[in-house]
Amino acid sequence: MNTRTSTRRRRPSWFIRFWAVVRYEMLWNIRKKKFLGLVIVAFALATLIWVLPIVSSNATDQPIEADPDFAVNFAIPGIGLFLFALITAMNSFSSEFESGTVVPLLTKPVSRTMVFLGKLLAALIIILFTYTILFVYGIIGGTLVYGSQNNLHLVPIGLFGNILSTFLWVAIIIAAGTLSKSTIISALVAFGLFFGLLFAVQIISVLAGPSPILNYVPGSGASGKMMTPQGQIDIGAGTDNIGVNMINYVLYPSANVDFNMTRIELQGNQPLITQVFAYSEPISLITSRSVVTTIVYTIVFLFIAWIAFKWAQILE
Amino acid sequence: MDLAIETNGLTKKYGSLTAVNRLDLRVKRKTIHGFLGPNGAGKTTTIKILVGLLKPNEGTVRVLGQELHGDKTAGFLNSFYEQADSRLSIGYMPELPKFPKHLKGSELLDIYGQMYGMTQQHRNEQIPKLIELVGLKGRENDLIGKYSKGMQQRIGIAQTLLNNPELVILDEPSLGLDPVGMVEVREVVKEIAKEGRTVLVSSHLLFEVEQICTDVTIINRGTALVSDTLQRVSGLIEGPAMLHVEVAKTSDKIVNAVKKLPSVTSVVQTGNTLRIQMKTHEDTRAQVSQEITMSGGIIIGMSQKTSNLEDVFIQLIHKDQGEKPR
Repeated sequence: MNTRTSTRRRRPSWFIRFWAVVRYEMLWNIRKKKFLGLVIVAFALATLIWVLPIVSSNATDQPIEADPDFAVNFAIPGIGLFLFALITAMNSFSSEFESGTVVPLLTKPVSRTMVFLGKLLAALIIILFTYTILFVYGIIGGTLVYGSQNNLHLVPIGLFGNILSTFLWVAIIIAAGTLSKSTIISALVAFGLFFGLLFAVQIISVLAGPSPILNYVPGSGASGKMMTPQGQIDIGAGTDNIGVNMINYVLYPSANVDFNMTRIELQGNQPLITQVFAYSEPISLITSRSVVTTIVYTIVFLFIAWIAFKWAQILE
Repeated sequence: MDLAIETNGLTKKYGSLTAVNRLDLRVKRKTIHGFLGPNGAGKTTTIKILVGLLKPNEGTVRVLGQELHGDKTAGFLNSFYEQADSRLSIGYMPELPKFPKHLKGSELLDIYGQMYGMTQQHRNEQIPKLIELVGLKGRENDLIGKYSKGMQQRIGIAQTLLNNPELVILDEPSLGLDPVGMVEVREVVKEIAKEGRTVLVSSHLLFEVEQICTDVTIINRGTALVSDTLQRVSGLIEGPAMLHVEVAKTSDKIVNAVKKLPSVTSVVQTGNTLRIQMKTHEDTRAQVSQEITMSGGIIIGMSQKTSNLEDVFIQLIHKDQGEKPR
């Protein structure tokens, strides 16, 4: 590089600059009204999980049945993962373009890659922090209601799985946001994709059976049943169920999951609906496939988002 | 020549529209350089290229000795990092700046300061000074969402100066400010320059540029029409001068005597004021003064209006557009 008249200052630590971006983004996230609203709703629902049995027990005079596996089965449902991803990531990039705040931000000595990674890390920290509090809250409440819990050491694995599942949606939403530079478009794309895939998976499952291809798209995937010494467990083989499936894999490493297909036959004039065995897969395969699928999708969408952000020209 | 900004053949196109057309811009160090042009002339596009928000289609850009955009020798990632580093010595205020509404004024400056790599101690010392300089003391802990347009402009100036920059680029700094605010901004710009910085000011307010700038570039349709010191640019038009003379008591004798002077074209009397149109731009005040005094008049005041930046600007723009000046 030509430094004919070099006036360059000493390069400050990249970490200080990077952390400034993380701070900038985190303050934005935690002050969003919709984020605070979602957290309140999530805590209200987590409270209901252990308050309802108490209310029911008091109403029926029946004692609450102990459930030592409540903690390891505690997970955020697919719609919850999606909403957390949406609220955290929806405005992250698109809103910067829409409001014009991207101009002063990108004229500071932080590279676009630094801004991109800083915003991602902020989203990760916010989600990790919120989920951890939510899990701890839910599990303490569950323990008080359902008695002492088994395998509490596996809860962090469930937490990790839930974050991984959320980050796939984060990546999709950020990619839509950086490509469109529009919050509305990124939200519509995300909602369309989430609900489109949700309904598509259900329709395909009924019409064509639990096709393995369903497990390669983001979402709940094919539904099956796994036999364990404690009884039958419902298993979702998609990317939204990584947390629970990882725990199930640790607890029952050699278990198989059976997938059935719905068969509709006409007997006389009456339709007869039966469940027919379709195929079986080990839980190890289901878990590893959903983890790999999630990671691949996340990387691909984040790469698209990074390229779009890096090359975006700031016209307004 | 020691240049803070140097562009050669800078070109930026948006589809078929050429916003900046082979622009050669030279901004000397430690000057206040006015960047003038009508709306759509390419000022903001040029500035956005200088601060790395836009990439040019052609040409080279050198800011504070460092080449931007066109450095093929640096690796892909390294080049990217270097361009972020080039902004360490630049303070930039965009036109009508927008800042995150969820941050407080002091938080914004603290975070931006951290992005410049300033230590906590340095930020704690610098930020209160800047808050005071731009007149936001007492409002620094309010959310920016609650700031008026003028206050956002002030915090915009404060963030420009955070890193003690060598080069300050201000895009329409007075836009949206009330008259008092405009005067204050001009004073701040002069203060900035006193500390040995280079200031590039884009403005459509010609009187503002005339009051604060030492050098001027006028652009139209993306091309520089003229670039020189303010004095030289203002002197580009040497049209006939106009004298305004206030006399204690005017009379026909005085008016006729002035009219007879060979250098005078016409005289218009309005009350006790004579507006004397001269044939040349030369200073003829002594001659006129003598004639009025000899005719029994007492001169209270006299001023000669010569061409100014506005005249030059209008004439150059009209000439470039192939129109006759009005």
